Amino acid sequence: MPPSHSDLDRQIEHLMQCKPLPEAEVKTLCEQARAILVEEWNVQPVKCPVTVCGDIHGQFHDLVELFRIGGSAPDTNYLFMGDYVDRGYYSVETVSLLVALKVRYRDRITILRGNHESRQITQVYGFYDECLRKYGNANVWKYFTDLFDYLPLTALIESQIFCLHGGLSPSLDTLDNIRALDRIQEVPHEGPMCDLLWSDPDDRCGWGISPRGAGYTFGQDIAAQFNHTNGLTLISRAHQLVMEGYNWCQEKNVVTVFSAPNYCYRCGNMAAILEIGENMEQNFLQFDPAPRQVEPDTTRRTPDYFL
Amino acid sequence: MELEVDDNDVKAAGAELLADGRHGIRIHGWEVESLKRSILNSSTLQRWEEKLQTSHFPEMIFGESCLVLKHINSGTKIHFNAFDALIGWKQEALPPVEVPAAAKWKFRSKPAQQVILDYDYTFTTPYRGSETIEMNATKNEIKDVAEVAYNLQWEDCKKQIDVAALTSKEPILFYDEVVLYEDELADNGVSLLTVKVRVMPSSWFLLLRYWLRVDGVLMRLRDTRMHCVFGDNASPTILRETCWREATFQALSAKGYSTDSASYSDPSVISQRLPIILHKTEVLKIPGHI
Repeated sequence: MPPSHSDLDRQIEHLMQCKPLPEAEVKTLCEQARAILVEEWNVQPVKCPVTVCGDIHGQFHDLVELFRIGGSAPDTNYLFMGDYVDRGYYSVETVSLLVALKVRYRDRITILRGNHESRQITQVYGFYDECLRKYGNANVWKYFTDLFDYLPLTALIESQIFCLHGGLSPSLDTLDNIRALDRIQEVPHEGPMCDLLWSDPDDRCGWGISPRGAGYTFGQDIAAQFNHTNGLTLISRAHQLVMEGYNWCQEKNVVTVFSAPNYCYRCGNMAAILEIGENMEQNFLQFDPAPRQVEPDTTRRTPDYFL
Repeated sequence: MELEVDDNDVKAAGAELLADGRHGIRIHGWEVESLKRSILNSSTLQRWEEKLQTSHFPEMIFGESCLVLKHINSGTKIHFNAFDALIGWKQEALPPVEVPAAAKWKFRSKPAQQVILDYDYTFTTPYRGSETIEMNATKNEIKDVAEVAYNLQWEDCKKQIDVAALTSKEPILFYDEVVLYEDELADNGVSLLTVKVRVMPSSWFLLLRYWLRVDGVLMRLRDTRMHCVFGDNASPTILRETCWREATFQALSAKGYSTDSASYSDPSVISQRLPIILHKTEVLKIPGHI
């Protein structure tokens, strides 16, 4: 059954007040979203103007601040590059709102997959526990993580700006290579799909293998070659915390955008979003955390008689 | 994070909280102060890259945060900061620890284009704090300061930190925790360096803790505790206990403990499960008159 706009509008309004939806509504919402996302591409085409956003990590009030700074959806088109959940206190409300907006305005909101949109990672870094706490069972976690398998991996704005969560992969020289991936699965520990969600740019040239023994970094020569081969002007990615909210690197072949201000409620960093205008002009908007929000656990403390 | 402190307790102890927006306390000739700032910005980070000769840093460096304990008469300063800790990391330069995913990793890049990075991404540091002597000095005195600094020596001792005294619930007049750096190890665990302090009417006590958990591989806890009992205000002594613990997940599993990372989120809860690999106590006698 196609979703009714009035239902969705009501849900969006409810979520905007940072209130979670009932479990049954989440289930329906995820089914509706899956039907939309399954039709999208691994390299999802996006038109300008659009505002590109990085990690949110459950910082719901800062997401609301983002919409205040960047313009509300659907008046502004948005492209989110993943990591909606974990770390912050409101992963449930954050991801519910983004998914509801996607279902309501499918052509105006694009949501990509980040490395945290995964069953395994969310069990360690907060989303799973938050679902248990807020719903008393893991059903909502299951609805969302099942949906995450359908999220597109990358997006392409007007055939020029390539957007994704992490970075490049030595197994993927062209956008067609990415289009050929079978993405509907849990994020693997290894392989091209894993690289797209995990890799980082590096100052050195070539491919770096992380000292962890898994994970790639890509050098400037790699990014320049990829952009040249695919006729791109820029790779826009998220995944890494930067104090200023955005950070150019690799001779402006790559930009990192991070949209969670005061990450983990204590880093003191700014957040940023990247506006791509009607003529593909670029404009960064930086913003601070939403005005004083009292988050649980961060206020008064009883004396800690640590030893 | 604010701690409710009873003003009467502070007064009764002959102490005063620092004014002018500073966060700290003056008590028995000591000034204890914490400074909490945001993570380093890009330009400062670039300067650190040059100074430390590395481009690898923890994801979150609270480079301008610190905890300082200053003995006012002697100018002796015990302080804790990320920069000195990272100098220690660079010097120790442990070999990298492979994560479980490494076993299945396929090298898909062309060998000619490929570099295997081999720095210690856990940022393990032997750092146990920094000491300096700082006088309200004119230029002429700086030379003397250098000579005194030479004498500021921790000496091994048999004495232990009086844990019983520390468990007594006397009021805490000042408490704070300062994170110096932190890294999420690309979601493979946690590396965290923090220092906590509490000041009571009878003593100050602090814990500098380096905590590492590489999921599925190992845990490492490097604790430095310092305790200074107020008494001889002119030339106080500080006890420093160093306790390093380490265990692999494999070893824990062999002992029948859980190997689920979620069971190891709070190091103070599980520290006893990790065998001690280094333990010593030292004393610092602060020279009375300089």
